[in-house]
Amino acid sequence: MLKLSYILPGAAAVVLSAGVACADNIVRIASPYKVTSLDPISAAAAGNIEAYGQLYTHLLRQNADGSLEPGLAESWTISDDKLVYQFELRDAKFSDGSTITAEDVAFSLTRAGGENSAYPAPFASISEVKAVDEDTVQIILTKPSAPLLAYTAIFNAGIVSKDDVEARGEDAFDANAVTSGPFTVQDWKPNDRLTLKANPHYWREGYPKIAGVDLIEVTDNNARSTMMLAGEIDVSRDVPWPQVDELNAADNISIPLDESTVIVILLPNHTAAPFDNLNIRKAAAMALNREAVAKVATQGRAQVANSTLPNALSYYAEDVQPPAYDPDGARALLEAEDAVGTEIELLIVPGRQELATLYKAQWDAVGFNTIVEVVDGGLWWDRVLGGEYQVTATWWYNETEDPDLAVRWALCGTCGNRSYYTNYNNERINELTDAALHEQDEEKRAAMYHEIQRISVDELAQIPIYYPPHPNAYSSRISGLTLTPSLQWTLEETEIVGD
Amino acid sequence: MSTLKYICWRLLMALPVLLGVSVVTFVLMAATPGDPIRLLAGARADADMIALVRERYGLDEPILKQYFIYLKNLVQGDLGNSLRYRQPVADLIARHYPVTLFLVIYTVVLTLPPVVFLSVLSARKPNGVADQVIRVIGVLGLAVPVFWLALLFARFFGAQLGWFPVSGYGETFSEHMWHLFLPALSTMIWVVPILVRNLRAALLDEMNRDYVQAGLSKGLGRKQVFRTHVFPNSVLPTLNLFAVIVAYLLGGSVIVETVYAVPGMGNLMVDSILARDYFVVQGATLVFALTTMLVMLAVDLLSTVIDPRITA
Repeated sequence: MLKLSYILPGAAAVVLSAGVACADNIVRIASPYKVTSLDPISAAAAGNIEAYGQLYTHLLRQNADGSLEPGLAESWTISDDKLVYQFELRDAKFSDGSTITAEDVAFSLTRAGGENSAYPAPFASISEVKAVDEDTVQIILTKPSAPLLAYTAIFNAGIVSKDDVEARGEDAFDANAVTSGPFTVQDWKPNDRLTLKANPHYWREGYPKIAGVDLIEVTDNNARSTMMLAGEIDVSRDVPWPQVDELNAADNISIPLDESTVIVILLPNHTAAPFDNLNIRKAAAMALNREAVAKVATQGRAQVANSTLPNALSYYAEDVQPPAYDPDGARALLEAEDAVGTEIELLIVPGRQELATLYKAQWDAVGFNTIVEVVDGGLWWDRVLGGEYQVTATWWYNETEDPDLAVRWALCGTCGNRSYYTNYNNERINELTDAALHEQDEEKRAAMYHEIQRISVDELAQIPIYYPPHPNAYSSRISGLTLTPSLQWTLEETEIVGD
Repeated sequence: MSTLKYICWRLLMALPVLLGVSVVTFVLMAATPGDPIRLLAGARADADMIALVRERYGLDEPILKQYFIYLKNLVQGDLGNSLRYRQPVADLIARHYPVTLFLVIYTVVLTLPPVVFLSVLSARKPNGVADQVIRVIGVLGLAVPVFWLALLFARFFGAQLGWFPVSGYGETFSEHMWHLFLPALSTMIWVVPILVRNLRAALLDEMNRDYVQAGLSKGLGRKQVFRTHVFPNSVLPTLNLFAVIVAYLLGGSVIVETVYAVPGMGNLMVDSILARDYFVVQGATLVFALTTMLVMLAVDLLSTVIDPRITA
């Protein structure tokens, strides 16, 4: 009897603690991407982008389907010359209960375009953001910017508390950050997890529907899949393609393949031999059976890429085509250039070996002599920024559906990062990039982006390979959750439906 | 008194070693290409912003000056701030270190009973059936890569049967035990055979010594000879090997920590190296070095207790 009285409380404690462990109203997401800062302007990496969206609200909000709807701004007007955007704010509060004012909005957007901002590009055409009164804010532009409304919904345009940031400085973005979005921070364990709880003052009434979120950082692909199979998480971000079938086959797990703006590409260095030569770039493109590569790499789940821009963007050109698969033609080009046997170095980071093997086999078959060099992320950036590479296999995505930022990033030679550091520099594209940003006429804009894609594909600014969706696995315990093309989880609409 | 003096001496000797470790780590990290701020701020980050942050964090200063600033802070007990998280390195280590320490101690606790039991069983009848079976299983345990075994355990005991969690650390002591069981088990399977082979050999060696014959001929029972003479004498070489293994487990924890998503020091270390988070790597290396030296010291002290002939 005595023994039993010892055992029972112990057993009860174990049962209780197990109950707490699978807390009922929490969504648990495991992702390989890390949250390194809670300050929305300090980083533009995937892990941070995904967290910022949960913490900070925007003037306009982007729906799961990508369309824009009123956010913190109830309504807005645009002046005839398209230079003044005026927003009327709704009654809304920060997580600490203080009111969100026009001053806070002006402060946040000015900050996002300022010198401390990791990604000021979206706000380059803004001359001033000013608070007209308590709940009216104006964005004044130097030149019209067609995607400006969409840019108010971008990840670093989240609204932060002016008073708090001015009072606490960088410390304002620790575990006690004052937030304006659907969630606020419950606990932040850097290099492990960010635990969020519902923000009781969030302006959107009735949202979020869940009590909290656990954003768990799990680098290892296998570990995430095992956690998913064991039911320890509700979402696994970026399931490796070879495991998609296995997870899909499990009860209670589905991989709906969320639409993405990801494009998998090869970057040739345009200012280094041999890829400074268009015929060599053509030979490299013709040597590749891109359909087969896409099929093998993603188990047939990606669409073959035809353009230098992601297919999920507006004004994506369906009709441009890089040279088709033609190994004999590629060989002939190499012979004509007297380049058979040319040594080319393919620079990759770990995790890209499979793709690199596919490229190497096909390139070597037409007469290249490919050497694959694997370096870690830090070294990769050093080499790419310094132009010390010949060709590299990588990918990128765009935060908005509007192609402006994508073109600035990947194809414009004079927009700050030399066409994703390939040193590709086409004056016509550079001109069109600015013209298209300021152009308000839909058709004219479409024509400009079409021309940009046509030129860059003709010149093989980059070799497009495929457009993969997001292979995220979801548990049937939750519903309404997806990752939007702009890398935002729709967690505020998510509900718990299972147990 | 002399033991205390010895301990003080050893701890004093640790200082130059730690200094050496910090110099080597700093030089290695400084020589590794890669910009922590670029990795932190993301692919599309603005070049001007990156330059600004580099300047603010003093990363553009000459490398020697950076080291002396670091050393000055270190002497005052400040390990610096993480470049990635802008949080004190000491805080990060304080959160990750206990996890790994728990895992290592847990592994050791799980390891010792089977090691003693199996070695004694093997040594009792050398080349007997039990000895052969233990040897074959031991070779298997050594031959299987830890990460592969860990993966299989996670899939089978975690996902398939649902007996144990496959990730995390938990909040309470019993949760730690539960969460870290599979990681500890996967590591143990590789450690046990090494120690068994070592202890078995030592046991056999001692059992053939003259003093055993003498003891037996004077009428001491086999059991008593074994327990009071053979076993303590055999444990010493294994104990030294054990110290090396514990040090290795600390560093090698990264494998199981990765497979089981355990937020420990191994994880922190690798992530920090990849992110070029210099000061975290520095701090973690120093903590690893210090722990290793303490383990070695503890084993040396334990040896003198077991065998007073070894003087401190």
